[in-house]
Amino acid sequence: MKVFCCEDRFEDMLTCIYDAWSVALTEGHENVRVVREPVLQQTLFDEYIHVEPDRDKLEKVIRSIKRQISNQAYMYVFYASLSSEEDALQAIYNFLRVGFAVGGQVCSMYTNPHVMRMVELKRRIGNEGHYFREFARFTSLDNKVYVCHIEPKNNVVMMVGNHFADRMPSEHWMIIDDTRKLAVVHPKDEENYLRYLTDTEFESLSHSEDYSDKYTDMWKSFFDVIAIKERKNISCQRNMFPIWMRKHAVEFMDD
Amino acid sequence: MNEILTGYTTQEKLEILADAAKYDVACTSSGSDRRGKKGFLGNASACGICHSFAADGRCISLLKILMTNHCVYDCKYCANRASNDIPRATFTPEEICELTIEFYKRNYIEGLFLSSGVLKNPTYTMEKMCETLLLLRNKYCFNGYIHVKTIPGASDEVLAAAGYLADRISVNLELPTAESLSKLAPNKSFQTILDPMGKVSDTIASHRAAIGKDPHMERSSGNKYLQNSIFSKDRLVTKKERGQLSVSGKNALVPSGMGKLTRSFAPAGQSTQMIIGATPESDYTLIQTTQKLYQSYDLKRVFYSAYIPINEDNVLPGLGTPPPLLREHRLYQADWLLRYYGFTADELLSEEKPNFNEQLDPKCDWALRHLDYFPLDVQSAPYDLLLRVPGIGPKSAGRIMYARRYGRLDFDSLKKMGVVLKRAHYFIICNGKQMYNTPIEERFIERQLTDTNRRENWKLANSNSTYQQMSLFDYGIG
Repeated sequence: MKVFCCEDRFEDMLTCIYDAWSVALTEGHENVRVVREPVLQQTLFDEYIHVEPDRDKLEKVIRSIKRQISNQAYMYVFYASLSSEEDALQAIYNFLRVGFAVGGQVCSMYTNPHVMRMVELKRRIGNEGHYFREFARFTSLDNKVYVCHIEPKNNVVMMVGNHFADRMPSEHWMIIDDTRKLAVVHPKDEENYLRYLTDTEFESLSHSEDYSDKYTDMWKSFFDVIAIKERKNISCQRNMFPIWMRKHAVEFMDD
Repeated sequence: MNEILTGYTTQEKLEILADAAKYDVACTSSGSDRRGKKGFLGNASACGICHSFAADGRCISLLKILMTNHCVYDCKYCANRASNDIPRATFTPEEICELTIEFYKRNYIEGLFLSSGVLKNPTYTMEKMCETLLLLRNKYCFNGYIHVKTIPGASDEVLAAAGYLADRISVNLELPTAESLSKLAPNKSFQTILDPMGKVSDTIASHRAAIGKDPHMERSSGNKYLQNSIFSKDRLVTKKERGQLSVSGKNALVPSGMGKLTRSFAPAGQSTQMIIGATPESDYTLIQTTQKLYQSYDLKRVFYSAYIPINEDNVLPGLGTPPPLLREHRLYQADWLLRYYGFTADELLSEEKPNFNEQLDPKCDWALRHLDYFPLDVQSAPYDLLLRVPGIGPKSAGRIMYARRYGRLDFDSLKKMGVVLKRAHYFIICNGKQMYNTPIEERFIERQLTDTNRRENWKLANSNSTYQQMSLFDYGIG
């Protein structure tokens, strides 16, 4: 079996699918696999092929998904590519196999396990994106720049960024994904952009949460006061606001 | 009552006035969809965004504060009544604006929820609130969500101004019947509450019609496939029929001196809240009132608040009475059944059975009393009946409708689509078979479902008690 592997970036992943597919045309879809790097444990009898990104192949894949399946299917593929689940790339491949076979109706075929897997991946990404829209917290650096750190499981920083681009168009702000060292930067009244941070940049930005001002304190006291103690229900609170998401939420930080 | 200079800092005021506002239930930021603008701060998204969850598990979406907790009224259930001896404070408009803006920029909140005690008289209080909102919208360029409470008895002009400045406007019904209201809130009357509610609802309708929308508020999209939902056109009560309920002379509210302000009138509609457990009304009365409010006033939401005894009074439950949380939960479940599932109040409860079953949720309860509809074949059942199966909601029902065009369904794929099989499997068949061999028999299914729900119910009813499983670690062993 041939295993095609690539970096965890959208361009690389679609190129990888292109290469795998072209081999599969002669050797059969069952005899190729696609995975994202790092491949932690290699199997003995498989051939591992690293794929470098290629703009032409990427565009070909996108074009054929949009033409032969549908725009909605392309959205599914894009969202799934943000997932951190191990089988995400293979799930996209399987989904496309079904998609190219049946065409535009694929997105409603909830009884097909490959389609259902994509729906599930997309739902998880969407949910996590929404969570961090809710729970992202900005720290104000002298009322000039607002910096936010998040540690999401999936790569949702761009979705979160787009939400805030609409919300705070006339402020300087940035949202940093600490696990991927990836930042959405938004200069005042301009478009926001994605950027991979260098280690020194990341290091200096990681101290932004040490800043606090009177509004942080006021928020903390508001947070404590607003709870009705006769209705105290910690397990409900944990259900709604899981502990792993609280890392950067100021109201849960101890001084 | 004159402005008393108490010398509190903003932080202290925030503590006092947030504490005073915490019993207001509505903290939703939903219903309004608005893009951001350059130079302004904020947008609004229709789904609503919660920003944190307090220790009681309730969401914190808005900066929920009172403008002042001075109050000339003496409503018996209220923490801020005139006869209570508590610290009193008043925010200046600038303080409220700055708090809102700064919290919003740090993504702590989704907007402002502004309510108030009655300072001097209702109109004066509302004027002050409108002044704050006008400042926030114009000087501070705030484009986010605002929910404003109206003070019963305020004049029409300020009511109109509030509606044009806020996203959602609400007036608290407090109690579902006129008798209870006059008993517990001697300064309020049903008329002073229903009257503004009617005016606001008419103005929303005419404003929506004027900008080319359906005059009725948007509802869950599933409702358009439901013949008999409470929102179907022939069931909505027109203004004329409502006549006997409210005596609104002029219907539309017109603000004066608002000049260039081009905003929609309360785009997120209006809501209300009722206290439950302080007076002896049955669930049937409550749910019927709710339905009437949805139909005749086109309210977006009705909220319930389990009464928490904070004042001692001989007409109120004694201090220390636990709040009826499970009952509140059942009412909310029923409210959802009205708004999303096409149920009506009379289907859920009746004169003979005026209260909800403690052990079972209202939908299971209904299904058990109507076993003649079941079992349903998911491959062919119509949408409105699918929605009535316990364990199937609007989302999974929609998915079933799509998926069955392209293939046969089985229990595995139903599970993947989000159907809660532990409740649904008694009521549906797939490919001619039930999931397990279970009899369609009321007593049997009731026992099974009660057991499924038992843990959840117990947790809700006892969320305050501190009992826990004994463990050897408690005794220092291990």
